Amino acid sequence: MHTCPRCESKEATVVAKSPVEGAWEVYMCPVCIFTWRSIEPETITNPEKYNRAFKVNPDDIPSAENVPALPARYIK
Amino acid sequence: MAYKDFRDFLSTLEKEGQLLTISDEVKPEPDIAAATKAMSKMGAETPAMLFDNIYGYTDAKVAMNVMGSWPNHALMMGLPKNTPLKDQFFEFARRYDQFPMEVKREETAPFHEVEITEDINLFEILPLFRLNQGDGGFYLDKGCVISRDVEDPENFGKQNVGIYRMQVKGKDRIGIQPVPQHDIAIHLRQAEERGENLPVVIALGNEPAITTAAATPLLYDQSEYEMAGAIQGEPYRIVKAKDSDLDIPWGAEVVLEGELLAGEREFEGPFGEFTGHYSGGRSMPVIKINRVYHRKNPIFEHLYIGMPWTETDYMVGINTSVPLYQQLKEAFPNEIVAVNAMYTHGLVAIVSTKRRYGGFAKAVGMRAMTTPHGLGYCKMVIVVDEDVDPFNLPQVMWALSTKLHPKHDTVIIPDLSVLALDPGSSPAGITHKMILDATTPLAPETRGHYSQPLDSPLDVDKWEQRLRELLK
Repeated sequence: MHTCPRCESKEATVVAKSPVEGAWEVYMCPVCIFTWRSIEPETITNPEKYNRAFKVNPDDIPSAENVPALPARYIK
Repeated sequence: MAYKDFRDFLSTLEKEGQLLTISDEVKPEPDIAAATKAMSKMGAETPAMLFDNIYGYTDAKVAMNVMGSWPNHALMMGLPKNTPLKDQFFEFARRYDQFPMEVKREETAPFHEVEITEDINLFEILPLFRLNQGDGGFYLDKGCVISRDVEDPENFGKQNVGIYRMQVKGKDRIGIQPVPQHDIAIHLRQAEERGENLPVVIALGNEPAITTAAATPLLYDQSEYEMAGAIQGEPYRIVKAKDSDLDIPWGAEVVLEGELLAGEREFEGPFGEFTGHYSGGRSMPVIKINRVYHRKNPIFEHLYIGMPWTETDYMVGINTSVPLYQQLKEAFPNEIVAVNAMYTHGLVAIVSTKRRYGGFAKAVGMRAMTTPHGLGYCKMVIVVDEDVDPFNLPQVMWALSTKLHPKHDTVIIPDLSVLALDPGSSPAGITHKMILDATTPLAPETRGHYSQPLDSPLDVDKWEQRLRELLK
């Protein structure tokens, strides 16, 4: 498990490895669905250096607006 | 003039000096997006780029900026690459009038070469990368997404081919943004009301006529395939999907077949958009991919999008202007001369028109706002006289600076609809709109001093021709 630089969940997993062995890995966070590559700059990969304007609070995700809106039959 | 497939178009670009192959090693991030954005900054005649040595990949090829200039747009239509923009507009309008061109059906396609139905991992199949630093992930933003009307599935015209932004959100999961104004949102609503998934196909790496048609704001029941045929002057070639009744561009490099999951929304975004702003994060539908086919050693096509101008602006410039032009001509057939709706996908539109009487131009501006595209765009409509070329911004600025009287010629209409991605809309999707009437006042209007317009010295046209010959 890896820490998501955007929402800081600890649940990110590896979704791909470079075809050339050892070059990089791609991780994905199942909470905020952020995806990043291990060799991207620290402003993308490091939770402390990730741009604060783009941080995501996991608590806000369930209330994100639905686009398009769900038809009535799916609204719980 | 039809291009057989994506590779055929790339080879034409190469022959015409409009393709730059970059074989030095580049990193997926930030190099590919950075180089493409840098290319966009270098003017309106830039080449496409092919990256064929990407760090960590063995044989990935990524094509960028494929239609990112006016020469490449001219070549898309089979015209000489130096065809002036205004000539491209009128030629596109002529071909638009040839719609519909019947399609040509094929049984097999080159993308059938490799087929994957088990253990699909899009992160391994596609050379994905981040475009802008705030993007929430790796996006597909130049794929043709195909879906059918659920209530009228036999209606070929109601089958939609559209370009939508898509975030790869899992090994076989893709998030898509079908805003309510989009045709695919109509199909999704129909399917969700029935409680059914909506079959979709995503075709990546297409020859440019279908990409252009897919990016054109056609009417709901107009077929993009029949428009692509009209644009290229030959029937468009399509082949059936295997899991649904959908039709696929024959020349695609990679095809993803799947279904939009009914009732499902998942966090998506942000994504750097054509407005020069990020979209914000919202909950959007999800496509589950069940089948992938691709050519051997596929060329992955992608598009850098961000602060204008980028490839998007060339791709949706003329093909946005022409439907507005045609629809305005339906209302005012003897007056409308040309339409330039190339700025931020038509959030600003410039209409050149003759006038029948005072106040006429303002009606033209209001009509532009009530066309199907204008309902979501056309926040500002500038109306100019028939002798002003709307594609020549110095001329448009001259008209604004000399013909517009702020008291009489600025019309603001409150709280109209606009696409929610307009960062100035408030609430998102609602904005005031403005008409700037920069036409010459005409009776019964009496204001201003316009009876002595400046003419040119005699024989300017003759001299222009002579000088062109001398400069050859």
